[in-house]
Amino acid sequence: MTAAVGVVEPPDLTGKRRALVLTEDRVGHYPEFRAYFVRVFDLDRLGLTRPGYVVAPSGGVYELVFVGRSGEAFPSGVEINALIDALEPMDENLVDRDLWAILRWMIAGVGAPWSVEDLDATGRLYRLPATQS
Amino acid sequence: MDVALPSALPEHIRRLWPYAPRFARVNCWRMHYVDEGAGDPIVLLHGNPTWGFLYRDVIPPLVAAGHRVIVPDMIGFGLSEKPTREHAHSLDGHSANLVALVRQLGLQHITLVCQDWGGPTGFSCALSNPERMRALVIMSTWAWPMPPAEFHTRIFPWRTMHAPLVGPYLLGKHNALAGRGVYLSVVDRERFRQRAQTAYEIMLPDPETRLLTWTWPRWIPLDAEARATARFQWLERGLARCKLPALIIWGREDEVFDAATFAQRFKQLLPHAEGPHLVTGRHFLQEDSGPEIAALIIEFLGRTPRNGIQ
Repeated sequence: MTAAVGVVEPPDLTGKRRALVLTEDRVGHYPEFRAYFVRVFDLDRLGLTRPGYVVAPSGGVYELVFVGRSGEAFPSGVEINALIDALEPMDENLVDRDLWAILRWMIAGVGAPWSVEDLDATGRLYRLPATQS
Repeated sequence: MDVALPSALPEHIRRLWPYAPRFARVNCWRMHYVDEGAGDPIVLLHGNPTWGFLYRDVIPPLVAAGHRVIVPDMIGFGLSEKPTREHAHSLDGHSANLVALVRQLGLQHITLVCQDWGGPTGFSCALSNPERMRALVIMSTWAWPMPPAEFHTRIFPWRTMHAPLVGPYLLGKHNALAGRGVYLSVVDRERFRQRAQTAYEIMLPDPETRLLTWTWPRWIPLDAEARATARFQWLERGLARCKLPALIIWGREDEVFDAATFAQRFKQLLPHAEGPHLVTGRHFLQEDSGPEIAALIIEFLGRTPRNGIQ
């Protein structure tokens, strides 16, 4: 499932809306996470000029909006939006599974000492729906 | 449900928590607390992710024994206001919230009962307001830097649980700490599930209200550069000089803040402290041993001078 998440070019947003599904105020709490996003989305060059986009296992596209705060390394935070048909309700279960896949993709990319196996074990310990087969 | 209103609590929780709600403004936040009984005050401090309800079995015996019992809900938990931005929370800010409450109520001869983050915040309050203190009661907490326990250095599950984006997902969207997290940290899990788990989950009904559940873990120092390291160094130095009477109570089954390591380290910091007294309990020992904890506090205060000097 990790391989099913990938970075994509900015999609056509005509007829779509952005639905905020996850917010992180402190993406650099562990600096390697910030470094991962900087690397994957070329943020040292692009800065705030455009969001990043990933496609999830469902085929849905998610927008990553990076947030800057004065006095802190960029990005300080990130907001994840689901891009969905403008007037359609969101499929919450589908989005939840996609978010879990995005987290697994992120952890795999950040790398050691972080591991997808530990993330999965944590999800199972807390009985997350996305980890229940 | 608007859980800022105690009347909106489910009936079975209101039966266990019949206390009149009171509110104070502390550092521009709305803090809920209960204030029962009369006498020298005992202030009961909870941590992450609980609220005053954790002390429901401790309060009645203390009041019956002639004590005034004050139980604040930390800003971000319980019936207190819940900021929605991580930057609203800091260790010093939470300590100052407690200081504000103590001063507004004009409390003197205080016995502070500290558990989890009620430890670092309560000790900060005590060390910065020693003239108001009578005694300390210490349970399943810590007051030194880098790190509190080996558990807190582990990727699985601790650091993964509050990692960037994982924290807001796992603890925010899925309320993992107030639900299964507390469940795993009590001894009688079935009783907890039947009688108490809802009371913790219902106080954090939406992801935004659960912010502090993943923010607090991020305030635990894991290296010398961590933002709270200096404060914890100050706490450790201050407690080593502290002459307040102290009582150490620990959960026998606590495997995160294990008694052999943590209670003994407090005993080294405060050699005059009574205990450690071991009771049935994991990290949230109040769930399993509330009446026993109350009895130990009552006996201890019966032997403790009112002016706090040994």
